[in-house]
Amino acid sequence: MSSSSSSPSSQRHQAPMKKKQKKMATEFTRGKSHAELLSQRSSLRDEIRTLPSNERSHVLAHLYGSGASKDLSKARLDNLRQFDANDRIGGGGGDTRVKSSLHKRQSRPNSALQRQIHRRETKRLQNAISAADVQDILAPSTSGYVETENDMEKTLQLSQNQLKYDGTSLSSNVAQNIYHLDLKDHGPYMLRYDRSGRHALLAGRGNNGGGHLAIVDQHTLASTTEFFIQDIVRDACFLQDSSLMAVSQRQNVYIYDENGAEVHRLGGHQLVTGMEFLPYHWLLATIGTNGVLQYQDTSTGELVSQHRTKLGPCCGGAFRQNPFNSVIHVGHSNGTVTLWSPSSSEYLVKMLCHKGSPITSLAMDRSGRYMATGGSDSKVKIFDLRMYKEIHTYTTYGGPPTALDISQTGVLGIGHGCHTTFWKAEALSMKVKEPYMKHQFSGNGPMESLRFRPYEDAVGVGHAGGVSSIVIPGSGEPNLDSMEHFTNPYADKKQRREAEVRSLLEKLSPDMISLDPDGVGGVEGGSLIQRAQRSRDAAEDAEARREAEREKAGSVREKKRMRGRSKIAKKLRRKQQNVVDENILKLRELREREKAEKEASRKSGGGGGDSGEGDEEEVAPAALKRFF
Amino acid sequence: MKVKALSRSQSSTTRSTIHDIRPTHKNLDPAAHPQARAREYTRAVTAAKLDRMFAQPFLGELKGGHVDAVTCLAVCRTNLCPVVTGCVDGTIRIWDLQNRKLVMNLEAHSRCVSGVVFGNQGGRVYSCGEEGIIKAWSIYPSSGLDRNEEEEDDESDDDDGYGKKPRARKTIVKSKTSIDESSSPYGPHNIYRLPTSSRGNQYNSNSNYAFHSIDHHWSESKLVSASSNAAVHIWDTERTTPISTFNNLWGSDDTVTTVRYNPAERELVAHCSNDRGIGLHDTRSSSALQKTIMAMKCNCLEWNPMEPYMFVVGNEDYNAYTFDMRKLSRPTGMFKGHVGAVMSVAWSPTGTEFVTGSYDKTIRIFSVRKEGGTASHSGYNSTGVSRDVYHTKRMQRVFCVGYTLDHKYILSGSDDTNVRLWKARSSEKIGQLSAREEASLQYRNALVQKYVHLPEVKRISKGRRVPKFVKKETAQAMVQKDKRKRKEENVINHSKPGTKKFTDEKAKAIVKTVD
Repeated sequence: MSSSSSSPSSQRHQAPMKKKQKKMATEFTRGKSHAELLSQRSSLRDEIRTLPSNERSHVLAHLYGSGASKDLSKARLDNLRQFDANDRIGGGGGDTRVKSSLHKRQSRPNSALQRQIHRRETKRLQNAISAADVQDILAPSTSGYVETENDMEKTLQLSQNQLKYDGTSLSSNVAQNIYHLDLKDHGPYMLRYDRSGRHALLAGRGNNGGGHLAIVDQHTLASTTEFFIQDIVRDACFLQDSSLMAVSQRQNVYIYDENGAEVHRLGGHQLVTGMEFLPYHWLLATIGTNGVLQYQDTSTGELVSQHRTKLGPCCGGAFRQNPFNSVIHVGHSNGTVTLWSPSSSEYLVKMLCHKGSPITSLAMDRSGRYMATGGSDSKVKIFDLRMYKEIHTYTTYGGPPTALDISQTGVLGIGHGCHTTFWKAEALSMKVKEPYMKHQFSGNGPMESLRFRPYEDAVGVGHAGGVSSIVIPGSGEPNLDSMEHFTNPYADKKQRREAEVRSLLEKLSPDMISLDPDGVGGVEGGSLIQRAQRSRDAAEDAEARREAEREKAGSVREKKRMRGRSKIAKKLRRKQQNVVDENILKLRELREREKAEKEASRKSGGGGGDSGEGDEEEVAPAALKRFF
Repeated sequence: MKVKALSRSQSSTTRSTIHDIRPTHKNLDPAAHPQARAREYTRAVTAAKLDRMFAQPFLGELKGGHVDAVTCLAVCRTNLCPVVTGCVDGTIRIWDLQNRKLVMNLEAHSRCVSGVVFGNQGGRVYSCGEEGIIKAWSIYPSSGLDRNEEEEDDESDDDDGYGKKPRARKTIVKSKTSIDESSSPYGPHNIYRLPTSSRGNQYNSNSNYAFHSIDHHWSESKLVSASSNAAVHIWDTERTTPISTFNNLWGSDDTVTTVRYNPAERELVAHCSNDRGIGLHDTRSSSALQKTIMAMKCNCLEWNPMEPYMFVVGNEDYNAYTFDMRKLSRPTGMFKGHVGAVMSVAWSPTGTEFVTGSYDKTIRIFSVRKEGGTASHSGYNSTGVSRDVYHTKRMQRVFCVGYTLDHKYILSGSDDTNVRLWKARSSEKIGQLSAREEASLQYRNALVQKYVHLPEVKRISKGRRVPKFVKKETAQAMVQKDKRKRKEENVINHSKPGTKKFTDEKAKAIVKTVD
């Protein structure tokens, strides 16, 4: 592993040797004694500890998963440990007999199991190290950059004109990403890309006249679909790929296919201002001016859940999903951001981000660590989502931020007034003095939407005057992955079909959305007693809370006697009802069917009964039925 | 100022002709794969479901079956296709597994056929009946002149069985048309009887001493049989009378029900007897080696073909036990799950798993050790729980089971007169897998293995639907076991410390050991 500490360029030369190492890694722990394993494990740990910091972070990412999960799980573990320590001090009542037998089991360590755990752990360490190495070898493409040649030059000075027309800097197929479509008639426009970045969806709101929708192939720059509607377009987004799009119009949300034909009308989604498609769960999340967050499963068509945020309307830019864990972040007009998942009718987290000024836009980076919020106080604040704490603030000049986005590599883009400003990836983790690049759309402000194009160094901006695309070197992920469905911009028809089937097979259940996405299949820490105690306590807590709620509801009912819709009982029932339970729906359907069958059989039985004289007793007149 | 922006070449992203392979890319950065664990888990659940969806183990019954219960079954030791079954009505039938067809029905015995066994050399079959006669047959018909030649061939050359197979099938068709009752081309080629008893006439002595089991030596042309006069006889296949007889092996008069030659030790015989004993015996000496008495009777015994120091017995107490022949005082493994007596057992030729047929109308497959990377079930530890359970609506009590030599199929003969053919791994595809199929299968198996401890995956991949009767009985057995355990605990808790001890289940199955 000595080679892993050398620079990436030298590693590429040592590729054959690496292969040999990889082969060894698979048989790394075979035929080793326990003592050998232990020493090997400690040496591997030391090795990881002594790596240079950027390589160490690579290895750790492979070891614990990327982003916040490690820290989250660590925090959870710490909490549990603290809890368990308290338990030990407190003694805790409980069932002493159960405890003693558990202690007995605990006191006899399972040496075979321990050996197996150590073996696995050693293997995992070795695999993480070799995966980090392989990552360097297999991902040879490096992202774009702008480098200054002397201290007097600044990247900020580089203009899009220079990039496009100075023939030396960009190749022609990249320079074609700098364009402006002048579409004044149906503006203001917004622009969204599909997951591969191949197609762009242009949606003109059409304040005066009608809305305009178009899909533009970004490789050929030809529009594949274009149509006008006699209605305003509040928001639009692609579903799983560019073949379907959801468009929220004046009243309802409609789904159109790639030919512009209306496929569905989602009547339940009223006055929708923000839409997000969760690709792994196949959920369309919408929020409207009434502040109701709804999740609709686009593969089965059923409404998964709806939550009342009770925090008023939310503007389209302040409704985003966190790509790391699929949690929906909603920015509200009172300056708070709430985090939602379909399984909980309460918000998961509520953060006061901009005191006294509405949130206008939101963006999360793909590792799930950072959230950027823009408020109408002309501030862009960066939050650490591991601690839910503000890290630092950038101020915008020339208008409050109205559109925000963070690229795959972490470049922060801000649209404010008629300006767009871009900050380097470092700007998220620490305060940076000046922006990386900027561009101005004079007379076309405010910026309606700003989106980085996936897997390319381009940014799409929608504004009052139409749609523009500019090039920001270093903003796109250089390495594609064929195994991630719908992210290959060069996929042909067969591959797209295959991807659709496969991703439907791998569709995640909506209740898997939680703050820690790697919780599934994990192991709860602590000993057997502690776990038993913990689950018992959780059950008791839940019972106590339910009791308290019942009492509270009872007292409230005595105090206020309301009728109709606002009755307390009904209110409570509504609260329960807003999570759509599949089983209840099924039961209801079954009951209805049974009722219908009974009705039918009653009718037929009544008709048949008249013919026979013998079964007179069984078919009494309806009026006499109550005597039987 | 130096500027570089992403630009991908045509050749790295799209294939030049439709005959090319599509270029693939891999990004190992964990940040590019959000919610990887949840997705992998979902994939594992799907994999488990797929595995169960493809699980259709029953291939069919062998056509043209018996008219009474099938009592015994033998799989050829050298050839994949021939199988012989014996019936309660005294007939034995020869089957061709490849075509799943009857080759010949032979009126072999006047009473129930209690055992059939293949010889080492191609085509020889020995059957024993309860009327006290052992007969030798050939699965390849010989007519007139060349019968003698063929017999000589069989005895001189071991590999003849394979070579003759196609020719044999041709002659089968011919002989069927011109079958002669008195001299069937299949035999009997030899008839073996016990010598006339001093007490009565020949007929009576034979009827008194019914044969219960027969086995052929693994390298020599010798037979061992167990008869109801509590004796074990060794026969030379060339002689019609036994070459040696062992009476009264452990001073008990009880009938020996099963005898089996050890595959490696040339003179070692293991047997089960009606006094609930399992014993080992060296045929060179007149005394026995070791014997252990179990709590209940054993119905069947088989040596492991790959690890010949190990054997498995099927017991009346619904369990199967594996023993190490060096230490009979304690079984090495206990295999639970049946709710009826285990009537027969057969090892897979790999020696890693065995199949049991039971009186509860089911077949169970048990792994004795972790088995790596086979087609559909990879890595079940030997937990004593069956890997799979097979049953059909019409299958009655299973009296005999067999495992084919290619480790892929299982045969069962049952009370409902049918001989059934099953896949050994229920969801395995029959036939050659393409490389892609194989790769995805391996991936799916690895996923299931990784997440098998999670409740959803476990429920899908390990749960089996069993007949109502079996389910009810299993639940009852659990209650009974709990009760026994509680009682034992109470006894220990309420007696003087140190006087009573826990005894584990394996130890309870053994009553005593006799040397």
